[in-house]
Amino acid sequence: MPQVRIIAKNFMDMVAALPAMKLDKLYENAFICEAILRSLPPLAKKYVLQMLCIEVPVTAKSMEEWVLPDGVSKHRVAIDRLIQLRIFTETVDRKRETTYTLNPIFQTNLKKLLLYGVVLPREPMPSNVTVRLPSSEDLEAFALEQWECFLLQLINSSQIERPSNISSSMMKIFQRGLLSQRDKEAPRLTESGFQFLLMDTNAQLWYIIREYISNSEERGVDSADLISFLLELSFHVTGEAYNINTLTEVQKNTIKDLADLGLVKLQQGRKDSWFIPTRLATNLSVSLTDSSSRKQGFVVVETNFRLYAYSTSKLHCEILRLFSRVEYQLPNLIVGAITKESLYSAFENGITADQIISFLQQNAHPRVAERVPSVPENVTDQIRLWETDLNRVEMTPAYHYDGFPSRDLFEGASDFARGYNALLWEDPEDSKKMSLVVKAENHVHMREYLSRQRQ
Amino acid sequence: MGHGDKGRPSKKLKFSAKEITQLDDEDAYFGGEDIDDDVRDGEGKKRDFTKLELKPDHINRPLWACADGRIFLETFSPLYKQAYDFLIAIAEPVCRPESMHEYNLTPHSLYAAVSVGLETETIISVLNKLSKTKLPKEMIDFIHGSTANYGKVKLVLKKNRYFVESPFPEVLKTLLKDEVISKSRIISEGSRGSDGFTISKTMGEIGAGPSDLLNEAELAAAAEEKETHAFEVDPTQVENVKERCLPNALNYPMLEEYDFRNDTVNPDLDMELKPQAQPRPYQEKSLSKMFGNGRARSGIIVLPCGAGKSLVGVSAASRIRKSCLCLATNAVSVDQWAFQFKLWSTIRDEQICRFTSDSKERFRGNAGVVVTTYNMVAFGGKRSEESEKIIEEIRNREWGLLLMDEVHVVPAQMFRKVISLTKSHCKLGLTATLVREDERITDLNFLIGPKLYEANWLDLVKGGFIANVQCAEVWCPMTKEFFAQYLKKENSKKKQALYVMNPNKFRACEFLIRFHEQQRGDKIIVFADNLFALVEYAMKLRKPMIYGATSHVERTKILEAFKTSRDVNTIFLSKVGDNSIDIPEANVIIQISSHAGSRRQEAQRLGRILRAKGKLQDRMAGGKEEYNAFFYSLVSMDTQEMYYSTKRQQFLIDQGYSFKVITGLPPPDSGPELNYHSLDDQLALLTKVLSAGDEAVGLEQLEEDADDIALHKARRFGGSMSAMSGANGMVYMEYSTGRHKLGKGQMKSKPKDPAKRHHLFKRRFG
Repeated sequence: MPQVRIIAKNFMDMVAALPAMKLDKLYENAFICEAILRSLPPLAKKYVLQMLCIEVPVTAKSMEEWVLPDGVSKHRVAIDRLIQLRIFTETVDRKRETTYTLNPIFQTNLKKLLLYGVVLPREPMPSNVTVRLPSSEDLEAFALEQWECFLLQLINSSQIERPSNISSSMMKIFQRGLLSQRDKEAPRLTESGFQFLLMDTNAQLWYIIREYISNSEERGVDSADLISFLLELSFHVTGEAYNINTLTEVQKNTIKDLADLGLVKLQQGRKDSWFIPTRLATNLSVSLTDSSSRKQGFVVVETNFRLYAYSTSKLHCEILRLFSRVEYQLPNLIVGAITKESLYSAFENGITADQIISFLQQNAHPRVAERVPSVPENVTDQIRLWETDLNRVEMTPAYHYDGFPSRDLFEGASDFARGYNALLWEDPEDSKKMSLVVKAENHVHMREYLSRQRQ
Repeated sequence: MGHGDKGRPSKKLKFSAKEITQLDDEDAYFGGEDIDDDVRDGEGKKRDFTKLELKPDHINRPLWACADGRIFLETFSPLYKQAYDFLIAIAEPVCRPESMHEYNLTPHSLYAAVSVGLETETIISVLNKLSKTKLPKEMIDFIHGSTANYGKVKLVLKKNRYFVESPFPEVLKTLLKDEVISKSRIISEGSRGSDGFTISKTMGEIGAGPSDLLNEAELAAAAEEKETHAFEVDPTQVENVKERCLPNALNYPMLEEYDFRNDTVNPDLDMELKPQAQPRPYQEKSLSKMFGNGRARSGIIVLPCGAGKSLVGVSAASRIRKSCLCLATNAVSVDQWAFQFKLWSTIRDEQICRFTSDSKERFRGNAGVVVTTYNMVAFGGKRSEESEKIIEEIRNREWGLLLMDEVHVVPAQMFRKVISLTKSHCKLGLTATLVREDERITDLNFLIGPKLYEANWLDLVKGGFIANVQCAEVWCPMTKEFFAQYLKKENSKKKQALYVMNPNKFRACEFLIRFHEQQRGDKIIVFADNLFALVEYAMKLRKPMIYGATSHVERTKILEAFKTSRDVNTIFLSKVGDNSIDIPEANVIIQISSHAGSRRQEAQRLGRILRAKGKLQDRMAGGKEEYNAFFYSLVSMDTQEMYYSTKRQQFLIDQGYSFKVITGLPPPDSGPELNYHSLDDQLALLTKVLSAGDEAVGLEQLEEDADDIALHKARRFGGSMSAMSGANGMVYMEYSTGRHKLGKGQMKSKPKDPAKRHHLFKRRFG
C-alpha cells in the first residue's frame, strides 16, 4: 500500500516545529500562550499551572513523585510535549540530575493573562457602523463556497465558474505535491492530491494553512508572526465584524488571502471596512481529533454498485469522479456507478480501497447511515477484492541462466541454487532446454559456483 | 480474464448505428453477450441536468425526471408506494435496490400505460406532481409523442362481432381512409351519428389509475362513463385490419379487449376459484390491471419465479370462464399446470386435459381447458392420426383465453405460428424474467400485448412472499496443474471443462453439499451446463442427475424421490432444469457451470428456490430467519468464468440482490474427507479431462424433442433489447462450442440496420 504522505498536522505540531528563537518570540503574545495551554494534554496543563509561580528549576525526580506508578507513561508524554514546545527547558547538571524550568517569557505572559486578563487588539465593531452583516447561515454558506471554489481551482478543474483571487504563484505553491505536470500535458493529480481530496474539510484546511505558513518567508512574512496572527484570529467571534484598520500592513495582506480561502468575509462600509471571521477561522486552533462538527453525509451506495450523492457541490462531483463513473447530474443529486474500471484508475492514482470505503462510510447519507453497514458489504468486499487482485503478482528480482554445456552442470547448478533456497524456476526434466531462474541476491554465489565448475 | 463491469451504463447510445457496428465485433468475441457493457460510454455519456429547476418543496416529492427519460425514485419517500404503482405502469424498471430505484420512460412502457387506461394528460400531471423538479420539456414532448397514437383504438369482440372502437371519431375516420380497412367494414343498419359510427358508453377505468394521486375532480372524470365510437369489421378480415394498424403501417396499434361477460356465443366453462385460493395483494393487482374495465385485456404479467404465477393464470381463466388453452414449455410443466388448475379451481377432471406426446387426452363437454406445449401446437411435421385430430380441434375452437407460460423462452417465430394457428379472444403471457433478445422482441408487444404488471422482487421478499435468498459467489483458485493446461492454446476447446473440473471447485462444491445436507438439512440442486462435469460430479458424489437424455418417466421418478425421500437431498440438473420444473422443496442451489453470461439463466435458476418456505411470520422482514435459501455460484479464479459471472448477476443485482464473494472454500483445514485431496487424484482427473474428446467436454446439446422447446434451435441475436422487457439492455445468447462458428457467422450476417429498427425507436433515437 502506498505510504500516505500527507499527514494533516495539528497546528500545535507546527508550532512545535518552529526554531527556538521563533518560539520564544511567539510566546510574547499572551493569546498564543493561552492557545498553547489549551492544546496541551491534561497532565501537561497541570504541570504548567503548578509551576506557574515557581521560578527555580524543579528536579525530574520530584516531578516523578507527583504521579502514581501507572501514570508514568502519561507523565512521559506530557513532559515530552512541554519540552518540544519549549515551555520546559531541560537541564542536566554536573551531578547528572535532570531539572526542568518553565520558559520565563511564557511564564510571565501566562501569569499576566491569568491575573489581569488580556483583551484582543480589537473589539467587534458596533452594529450601528456595520450594516448588512451576513446571517450565520449565509456566512457558513459563504465559507463553504469559497473553500470549494478554491479547491476546484487547486485541482485545476474545468468546473470552476469564477476563479478566486489567489495569485497564481501562491496557487502553485499549494499545488506543489498535489499536482504534477509532465511536459506539455495537462497537470494531473498526484497520489497525495487524490488523498487530499478525500480528506475532510478540516484536514484539508490544515494542509493548506501549513503550506501557507511554511512558505510565508518567501513572501517576506515572518512565520511566527503569521502563526500568532492566525491563532489570534481563532479567538475572534464568528460572525462579528472587526475593523481592518486595526491590522498591520502584513496582516491586511494576509486577511485578503484568508478571505479567498473562506476563513473570513470582507465587507466594506461607507468609511470603514471590516472582516468577519467564519467558522473555518475560529476552528483553526481546535485540534483535528476533536473536530466534532461532523457534516451531514450525502452518499447512498446501493448493492448494485450505484451511487447517489445528494449534493449540489461541483467539488463533490469531482471527488466522486475520482473513483466512480458519474452518469447523471441533477440539481441536487449526482448519480454514478462504481465500476471496476473506475476503481482501477483510482488505484492507479494511488488511492487505496480503504480510503474510498472510509470516504463512503463517513459521508453516508443519514438515511443509510444508521444501517449497518452503511455501505453494502458486497460493495466494500468487492472494492477490497479488486484492490487485492492488483497485488497478486509478487516481484522478485532474479537472474536467468541458460546455455549450460551439459546436463550435469545444469543439474548441479540447479541443486546448488536449491541449497540456498533461491531456485525460482527451472526447465522441467523432459524439456530439452536447460535454463534456470535464480533470485538476484544469490547471483554472486551462482557466479562463483559456475566459474568453479568450469575449471 | 477479469471481472466485468459491475456498473450499469445507460442505454441510449446503443441505438445509434455506429455503436451497433462496433458491438458486432465485440459480440462475436464474447459470444454476443454484452450489448451494454461499455467502457466507451463512461464519462462521455454523463448527463448534466443541473439546470432543471427544483421546486421549493422538493424534499416532499419522491422523484427526479431527466430529459432522456430516466427517472430516479426515492424509496424512503412517504409517497413511495403510490409513486411506485404509478411508475411501474408508465415506465420500465432499470434497477430496484433498496433506497433508490431507476426507471426508464420508453415508447413501449408508455404504450402499456395507455393501454391500461392512463391518459396522456394524467401521466404528465401525476408525474409533474411527483417530481422534485419541473418536468423537462423534452420529457413532456416525448410523452405526448409516444402516446399520441397508442391506446386510441381497440378491437373488441362483442357477441362474436368484431368492433373497432375508439373515443375519438376522427381517429376512426383516419383508419377508414385505408383501403383494406374500409373494405372490411360492415355497415350495420342501426348505426347512428353523422359518421355512421355506433356510439355507446363503456365503463370507466377502475383501479388502474393512481387514484390517490389524482384530485377528486380528475377521479370523477375517470370513473365517468365514456362515450365511444365504433364500427364493425368482417370477422374474416380481422387479421388484416390488425396488420394495417401496426406501427409499420397506419400506426394505430389496436388494443385487444374481450368483453367476455357479453359473449353469448362461446359456451361458458363452469369453473371458479376454490375458496382457499386467496390471491395475494400483488396477484390481485396484476389481475386488476388485466380486468380493469370489466373486460379482459391481453398482455404480459411479470412475476418472479415462485411468486405464484400459476395462481394468476388460473384466476384469469376462472374469471373469463371460457375455454382456455394453456401453453407450457415442456411435458413436466404441462403436468404441473394441469395440477395447478385442479388445485386452485373447481374445474372437474373431465373438463381439463393434457396434450403431449405421451398423453393425448380430450375434454368432454363443449368447453374446457387444454394444457399443451408450444411445440405440440407449432409442430410442422407429420403427426399421428390421434394428435392430428386434437390439433384440428384446437385450431377450430374459439378460445376465451390463451394462457402462455414462460413467454421469454419461446422463440418469436414459434409465437407467431402459435398465435396465428389458434383463435383466441384474450392472450395472457406469464414470465419471471422478460428478457428476450431476438429481433422480434418489439413485436411481442403487439403479438401478445403490453406488459400489464411487474412486481418488485425486494418488496415481495420483504412481504415474505418469496424466499429471502443469500446469494454468494465462491471464488475457487485454479490448481496449478489445471491452470497450466487452461492457458495452453491446444486446450482452447477444453477451457470450460478445465475450469469446471478444477479440483478446488469440486471440493468447494462437496463441502457446501455436506454442510447444507448435514448441518441444516437442506434440499440442494446442483446445476451444471457442462455435461461432462455433470456426470463426473454426480458419479463421484453418488447423487442422482437429470439431463436432456433422461426420460420423462425417470425424471418424474427422481423428482419424486427428491421431494419425498429423506435420503435424496441433492440432485444434479443440467440446463433442462432451468425453466419451469417446479421443485418447491429445494432451498439451496449450487451452480458449478453455467451458460456464458446469460442473465436470464441466472435469474431462472435462482427462481427454483424462490418459493417461500416455512412460516410466513418468520419470513417477513424482521422475522426469525434472515435467509432461508442459498444460491452459490462457484467460479474458478482467473478464468473466463469470472467475467461471465459478473455479467450473469446483473439482472438479479438490478432487482436488489447482492452477491457476497466468498473466498477460502473449502476451509483450509479440510483434508482427505473431501475428494481430490491428493495431488495424484487431481492429476488423474486432469488426465481424464484432457483425454476426453472435445465434443464430450463441451456444452450439453439438447436433442430436439417434441415436448421440449429445444433451446438451441432458437437463434437469438444480440440486439437492442426491447424496452418492454423490464430488463432493458439484457442479452441472452445461446452459446455452444459445437455451433460457435456457425453462430458467429450468423451474427455477422445479421447487421443491426438502423432502418429496420422498430419504428418506435427510430422515432425516438433516430
